[in-house]
Amino acid sequence: METIIQVQNLSKSYTTDKVLDIENLDIPKGQSFGLVGNNGAGKTTFFSLLLDLIQPSSGQIQNKGVVVSESEDWKPFTTSFIDESFLIGYLTAEEYFYFIGELRHTSKAEVDKLLAEFEDFFHGEILNQKKYLRDLSKGNQKKVGIVATLIGSPEVVILDEPFANLDPTTQIRLKSIIKDLSAQKHITMLISSHDLMHVTDVCERVVVLDKGQIVKDIFTSEATLKELEEYFGR
Amino acid sequence: MTIAQFFSLEWKQFKRSSFFEKGLAIKIIMILVALYFASIAILTGGGVFFILKKVIPDEDPFLVINNYLLYWVLGDLALRFFMQQLPVINIKPMLLLPIKRNSVIQFLLLKTSFSFFNILPLLFFIPLSIVLLTQGYYPLMVLLWFISIVAIGFSINYLNFILNKNNTAFYVVLAIFIATMALQYFGIFDLTPHTGVLFYSFYSLGYTMLIPLLLVALLFKVNYRLLRKNFYIDGAVQSKKQAYTHYNLEFLNRFGTLSTFLKNDIKMITRNARPRQVLFMSFIFLFYGLIFFTQDSYREMPAVLVFALVFVTGGFLLTFGQLVPSWDSEYYKLMMSQNISYKKYLESKWLLMALGCAVSFILSTPYIYFGWDIFVMIAAGASFNIGLNSFITLFGGALNRVPVELNQKAKAFSNTQGFNPTQFLIGLPKIFGPIVIFYLPYTLIHFNAGLIALAMSGVLGIVFKSHFLNFIEKVYQNNKYKTISAFSEKK
Repeated sequence: METIIQVQNLSKSYTTDKVLDIENLDIPKGQSFGLVGNNGAGKTTFFSLLLDLIQPSSGQIQNKGVVVSESEDWKPFTTSFIDESFLIGYLTAEEYFYFIGELRHTSKAEVDKLLAEFEDFFHGEILNQKKYLRDLSKGNQKKVGIVATLIGSPEVVILDEPFANLDPTTQIRLKSIIKDLSAQKHITMLISSHDLMHVTDVCERVVVLDKGQIVKDIFTSEATLKELEEYFGR
Repeated sequence: MTIAQFFSLEWKQFKRSSFFEKGLAIKIIMILVALYFASIAILTGGGVFFILKKVIPDEDPFLVINNYLLYWVLGDLALRFFMQQLPVINIKPMLLLPIKRNSVIQFLLLKTSFSFFNILPLLFFIPLSIVLLTQGYYPLMVLLWFISIVAIGFSINYLNFILNKNNTAFYVVLAIFIATMALQYFGIFDLTPHTGVLFYSFYSLGYTMLIPLLLVALLFKVNYRLLRKNFYIDGAVQSKKQAYTHYNLEFLNRFGTLSTFLKNDIKMITRNARPRQVLFMSFIFLFYGLIFFTQDSYREMPAVLVFALVFVTGGFLLTFGQLVPSWDSEYYKLMMSQNISYKKYLESKWLLMALGCAVSFILSTPYIYFGWDIFVMIAAGASFNIGLNSFITLFGGALNRVPVELNQKAKAFSNTQGFNPTQFLIGLPKIFGPIVIFYLPYTLIHFNAGLIALAMSGVLGIVFKSHFLNFIEKVYQNNKYKTISAFSEKK
């Protein structure tokens, strides 16, 4: 299978602390890839490196053949939602979606069509609210951020902790959205989470990070959840 | 909870405020700026009496001062509306503690008395009162007058917080201000002698001082009631939620791919407290030229005039531009990972600044009143601002890594967000650049040669726009990671 994300000898250190150290990691195109680990394991650091928001201490990441720290050419096919700093607080949800749409060369009509598919997910609390994003609840902000990553037919979607702060109904809906997307096999999804059940549910492959290093790399099966629970319960 | 405990909390807040965490250089600059304003207030307070005596010898200077106090009241109110904020948010943690609500509110309101805005008028009125005493006015009555004026100052303080919740009330005040000024200027109706009678009566009658004293008590009470009624986390304590406003910005689509950013920036400016404040400041800059063009002595000093005319059209460029890219700091990670090329992003900021200068230039047309030569000078300054100053400002932004909280008003002297020594150094060529460009051809050839040089510098800037942008883009790219990490730091 064609590899889309290729990590080579990647490390990130702050003064003496090595917070991430990945020798080799290949993610094939279309895979739904899960990343789990305790606080400080390096999940967000890895995503930030992948988005070229921080500089690697050594090594590199290639996104569809583009070395992310050397060229901006990965931006047209990559989307992400890491935290609320990816939202523009003074826009309404619609304005934000259209803004992202314009950046990704997607017309208003196409954005509207996409948004219509997420009516259930939004639960009537996002669109036509006449409210700025900064005045929405944390959970609703998250919904906006997640759906915005799907605008403009991306090939790589990066979601950091997408399940946190969502109510149970929305968590279940989000899982089915992610499953649908990964079933289409042309979107590569990278998802981090603290919730082992959710991750094993939606991801074909789960990688466990501990103190910046890959300690487990599992293709999900019936036994995966148990294996992970045993690992983290040790 | 006692007053002493409140004060100890306040003292900690003051001691640990961002001001004291800044480097030594910036502290010195800030102290110098504060001293500058303080000494101006003291000097004018001490000198205004003698100046008026000289300018209008046949009138009692004290009467004239009282006539003009109306403008102080209205101007002070307008200034406070944009700059001063009731610090309600801080009391949120106190809601859960066993403290009487009444004492929290009283403390909160009294605390505002120590604001910079209340101290500045004192620095003016205390020297003035001392001068009045030395000039043979009745000491007791001067004291009553002084107390009345202080009471009016505090009334403005409390009135501002009521107005802050109500935009229409503010615009009514602003309209009255402009209307009285216009009516007086064109000699139709002069309100000031009528209000002057009231202000003077604090001195001449004395007992009228009850009016301001009652007023300040009343406004305190109204504020107190308002806060008491809304002392819940969904009430006054909550940060103000803004009603959604929609406007059609499709006409900006003519700017092509840049229009996306332009439309967004306009929403950013109109929907957030801090940039609105900056917009107001840049509007004030338009009047900067009045200080210089109305006085003949400056007409003989072209270098000073050039200095002034750069400010007339450059208000927006200087105040808004110095905080690029900090305006996007709240969502900078999005801007850096979305499908945006750095160059387009920077070009859109340049276009915004250029448009800001162009609008300022159009608004400055009334300066034709002072003569076409003045207006031609302003045009040359605008050309410099659009073509060259904009790039210098953009370049300076690359070194600016201070996050801005968009919906928080900057507080005078307690908030130094977005201000640092590097910024100060970068500011020097913005101000002295035009003087240098103008001065050499002016002394070597002719006055007009200086103007042409200034105008041409702007044209050259636009001709080489692409080169400048490429260069600036590289600087931004090199600083990218540092900027991202600085912007994501907790404030």
